[in-house]
Amino acid sequence: MAAYSLGIDIGGTFTDIVAFDHASGRQMSRKVLTSHDDPARAVMAGIDAVMEMHGLAAADCRRLVHATTLFTNALIERKGAKTGLITTQGFRDVLEIGRERKYGLYDLAISKPAPLVPRDRRLEAIERIDVDGNVVVELDHADVLKQADRLVAAGVTSVAVVFLHAYADGTHERQAIDIISAAHPSLSLSASHDVAPEIREFERTSTTVANAYIKPLAERYLEALADQAAARGIATPLHMMLSAGGLTHLEEAKRVPVEMLESGPAAGALAAAYFGAASDDGVGADDLLAFDMGGTTAKLALVEGGEPRTAYGFEAAREKRFAEGSGLPIRISTVELIEIGAGGGSIARLDAAGLLKVGPESAGSDPGPASYGAGGTQPTVTDADLALGYLDSEGFAGGDVTIDLAAGDAAISGLADQVSMAPLALAWGIHDIVNESMASAARVHIAERGRDPRGYSLLCTGGAGPVHAYGVAAKLGLKRIICPPSAGVASALGLLVAPARVDRVATIGLNLETDDPAKLEAVFQRLEAEARGVIADTGLAENDVEFHRLADGRFVGQGFDLVIPLPPGPYDLADKRAVRAQLLAAFERGYRERFNRTPPDVAVEFINARLSARAPAPVPEMEPPSSPRADDSAQIGTRPAYFPEFGGFTEVPVFDRQQLAGGQKLCGPVIIADAGSTLIAGPGAAIAVMENGNIHVDLPARKQAVEGVGDG
Amino acid sequence: MAEKKNTATGDFDAVILEILWTRLISIVDEGAKAIVRTAFSTLSNEANDFACVLTDARGRSLAQNSGSIPSFIATLPATVRHFLDAIGAENMRPGDILITNDPWKGTGHLPDVCIVQPVFFGARLVAFAATTSHVPDIGGRIRALEAREIYEEGLQIPLTKLSDGGVINDQLVDIIRLNVRTPDQTMGDIWAQVGAGGLMADRLLAMMSDYSLADLTGLADELFRRCEVAMRAAISAVPDGVYGYVMETDGMDIAFRYEVALSIEGDAISADFTGITAAQPRAINCPMTYTYAMTAYAVKCALLPDLANNDGMFRPITVTAPEDCLVNPRYPAAVSARAGTGHYVPVVVFGALGQAVPDRVMAGAGSPLWAITQTGHRDDGSAYANVLFFNGGMGALADKDGESCLSWPSNISSTPVEVAERNAPLLIREKKLRPGSGGAGRHRGGLGQDVEMVCTSERPIAMMFMAERTRVPAPGFAGGGQGGLGSVEINGEAVNHRTQHILQKGDVVVVRTPGGGGYGVAAERSGSAVEVDAARGYASDNEH
Repeated sequence: MAAYSLGIDIGGTFTDIVAFDHASGRQMSRKVLTSHDDPARAVMAGIDAVMEMHGLAAADCRRLVHATTLFTNALIERKGAKTGLITTQGFRDVLEIGRERKYGLYDLAISKPAPLVPRDRRLEAIERIDVDGNVVVELDHADVLKQADRLVAAGVTSVAVVFLHAYADGTHERQAIDIISAAHPSLSLSASHDVAPEIREFERTSTTVANAYIKPLAERYLEALADQAAARGIATPLHMMLSAGGLTHLEEAKRVPVEMLESGPAAGALAAAYFGAASDDGVGADDLLAFDMGGTTAKLALVEGGEPRTAYGFEAAREKRFAEGSGLPIRISTVELIEIGAGGGSIARLDAAGLLKVGPESAGSDPGPASYGAGGTQPTVTDADLALGYLDSEGFAGGDVTIDLAAGDAAISGLADQVSMAPLALAWGIHDIVNESMASAARVHIAERGRDPRGYSLLCTGGAGPVHAYGVAAKLGLKRIICPPSAGVASALGLLVAPARVDRVATIGLNLETDDPAKLEAVFQRLEAEARGVIADTGLAENDVEFHRLADGRFVGQGFDLVIPLPPGPYDLADKRAVRAQLLAAFERGYRERFNRTPPDVAVEFINARLSARAPAPVPEMEPPSSPRADDSAQIGTRPAYFPEFGGFTEVPVFDRQQLAGGQKLCGPVIIADAGSTLIAGPGAAIAVMENGNIHVDLPARKQAVEGVGDG
Repeated sequence: MAEKKNTATGDFDAVILEILWTRLISIVDEGAKAIVRTAFSTLSNEANDFACVLTDARGRSLAQNSGSIPSFIATLPATVRHFLDAIGAENMRPGDILITNDPWKGTGHLPDVCIVQPVFFGARLVAFAATTSHVPDIGGRIRALEAREIYEEGLQIPLTKLSDGGVINDQLVDIIRLNVRTPDQTMGDIWAQVGAGGLMADRLLAMMSDYSLADLTGLADELFRRCEVAMRAAISAVPDGVYGYVMETDGMDIAFRYEVALSIEGDAISADFTGITAAQPRAINCPMTYTYAMTAYAVKCALLPDLANNDGMFRPITVTAPEDCLVNPRYPAAVSARAGTGHYVPVVVFGALGQAVPDRVMAGAGSPLWAITQTGHRDDGSAYANVLFFNGGMGALADKDGESCLSWPSNISSTPVEVAERNAPLLIREKKLRPGSGGAGRHRGGLGQDVEMVCTSERPIAMMFMAERTRVPAPGFAGGGQGGLGSVEINGEAVNHRTQHILQKGDVVVVRTPGGGGYGVAAERSGSAVEVDAARGYASDNEH
């Protein structure tokens, strides 16, 4: 057996193990239940199973990559370390006071997210640095030690140190860390200038505290996993997936575990970009709306120019799951995601005005949809999809779940009676409404970025993604759906195609009119040197490191920053005017693209410099689908399914995805059944099976026209 | 509960209504995103001090953007109806852009410019896309509470056409530009509103084509009917009666008296503010449109928080007040700081409504919003103006402590310390929760905060304050204690914050925002809650 890569993705319920054979392009995967008490146990069991089943030798593993939701779950469940915080004197309440803004306007019982460190474990040290990084009050060394002693006495195992303006000068924080670690060498320590060196004290504190909160867990667990993999004879080092969609090494992951919070979704977005690129035939495969719909939520990510969009902050552990502003702000680079409370388990109900609402409440897996027959009585999206014939009650979820169609129908009929509608009309309504809410979220999100949704293709994954992709794409006026092979474990593949990556930020506050742009060059050179070192330590940098320079620019005095790509530099040329003009032009270009508006004649400043360094991995070829067969052998039957175009049920051909051959073309309506999901294509759709295993569904022009009016 | 059931009538069932409703919300939310992206005003893009609304052809609100602050409930549809009255539907045509900042017909003060765009489906007027936004400057004196008449507060734009059939009124644009300090930014924000309105119109027409709707009347009537039924059902569940409440506040030259008589009669609710202090020759008068918004906000929060802000919701709620009083001033009263008055309205409405449904209301909040405006020159001689916002504690509920330092009923973030120190020559030495400032009770009021800052400028800084509840604290409810008083101190002395203060280098300013009131008697507070308060220093300081 030749060289292969291993990807490990730990989710809340399942741990996915994917092996990828470099020579043949073959993928091998295994799902095991996540072992929450000792996550490494399930991982190793899964690795053993894959190696055994496919005859892989530990010594041939060339790459071992890991993504996990463990740290995110620790934040959500508040099961991290007992953490303490030391701040500048006068500012220990910054973490609790927050932004002072409500995430729900009409909810009197609103609660801010509970701070990860309660007030009695937030202490203050005597020191002060001003906005320019000058020392106003020297750090009192004895005092900071006293505060740390108090925290240790209170039983904390991890301490965050956050001083005002530490992004401008981290000297006091460094001194404090040295003093504390000398006295308490076993404490986990996190300093804000190291974790999130950005202006805005609340967001920086929140990020640093979250890092401290999960750091002992990360240190313990990642060490254990790396040790056990090594003990199995896997010689290649363990690499970790970052939220931004790149890989880093173990030490870096242990230093800033907060950068791994969105590692799972990042892998999913990278996989989507990879499948999209593999399908490039000129029809918008470069710009994708990655649509992953599971049991409780749908996630949408934008891939533009072949790369997932990056965001520079997100919220973890939202108090109200889908309410912006209800979570803990985390200032890290991450793939940009929107999450909607729409999944197979989403419950349909009537609101006070008698309108049919679907989600965000979910029946989850217990009791699950009514048709699981496990006690659920409220109709869900899955119940509707079954009633409409989109899902097959036989062999549901690989036969793991026995479907009680009568129970699902009873739940739908019960709700239909309340609104005097026919059950079938209500079932279609549930399907259509959940599609509308996902399409609306995507529409507003894409519009916010100054883009037109019609330029994107929809790449669908997850158990429910391929079932709902057709309706969502039609509502958005998209031309094409791309459905990758084995959509269920597709996201783990993202682990295997990820580049080594480092993202760094520095707050600079550079006025383009009055400050010397050479200062910017110095900052970037420092960041690049740091990044180069980290990438070298990953051992993955077979290729050259690519540096992308960006800046958060804004008009002086405005509150809104715009992240824009900068020209590569250098910026310390003698002709400062030319450099300024170049930088200003970059900002204005970004401004025009985003706002579709001429920028005003107002001075511009760059608040933060951002560096993204990547060393791309060689991209594997996907294994082509099995050998070509005739059309009729892939068709495994027909079943009645509802399409509003026909005003009722139609007998629709059902194909087995595993038996479809590359080059095969079909005409909608069709149902394409796969192990983990079912792809639905409506009347008039043109379906093409690609040689690489992707399926393209091109929507009929009539459907696309839905959103085609009023191009504003 | 009301007798009428919310079941399908006509062509609109529960499904199609939800689909169209979701579309309408996504249209106004898309308009809102367009404003956030393109506005210069930080009040728009950071504080959501703007609103986007679609109305039907009669000026009845169909949908309002999700994040819009309560100040704008029902104001824009009223503005649209004022235009229908003043100009007449028959005189409107495609390409028209209507504009006004009339406080009585708009949102209650001049900086909020209202833009209304009629939407035509073919030749037929089917809807209005309306937006309002707090522009960066509208002329007049900056945040001057001393203003005695509206003429001191900036440029007044009557109900007029900014564009007539697509032809821009250049003279009007010139007049606006000449009367404001930031002509590019102010006009820029107005054009941002026009862009958002156009986008909403386009999206609405697309929706109408998709669903073969020739006009919106049937859809609107059905949505309104259902929301009205739901609101009336919620009001019917409240025991009938007339509930009175009186509250005193700091006032200006004199203390102010707020009085409301809230009548619940079957499925309707009316608030009568007879007894309230007369209008004042100061900028704190609150036009009726804002008073209505704040009353409807309180009723909605207490009775049916998730209901859509559409015309049907407003129908069962009426508000009256004697002419020329604090919450119903007559032109040309000064109104720029109307929020300082209007933000008390929900507190008195809760005081009255709570007598009927005590578990639905909140004790007095440490509102209204606090702010410090600083103007001066930097050491390099350049001029600057900067605003810092601060919030007090929310009131407690029947089953929950009040949140500390949270903007209510408005929704404006505070400025980060590190950003504030970049924008102005100040060194902030402390920003902390104020122990003991939450009113005692079975459930405690939210805490206010203390912020201490030092002037580091070689040149003097002029400071103006927006501060309330420095004389009369937030009331508790059902036996709960009152919240802690706010104060403004300079160099250790409490000062009159209604006038401007000049700071020299080294002067120290401390603002202490008020705490929220408690709910229920303190003796009933659970032992564990008392312990947590003690351990965390919420009740009294623990060392720091």
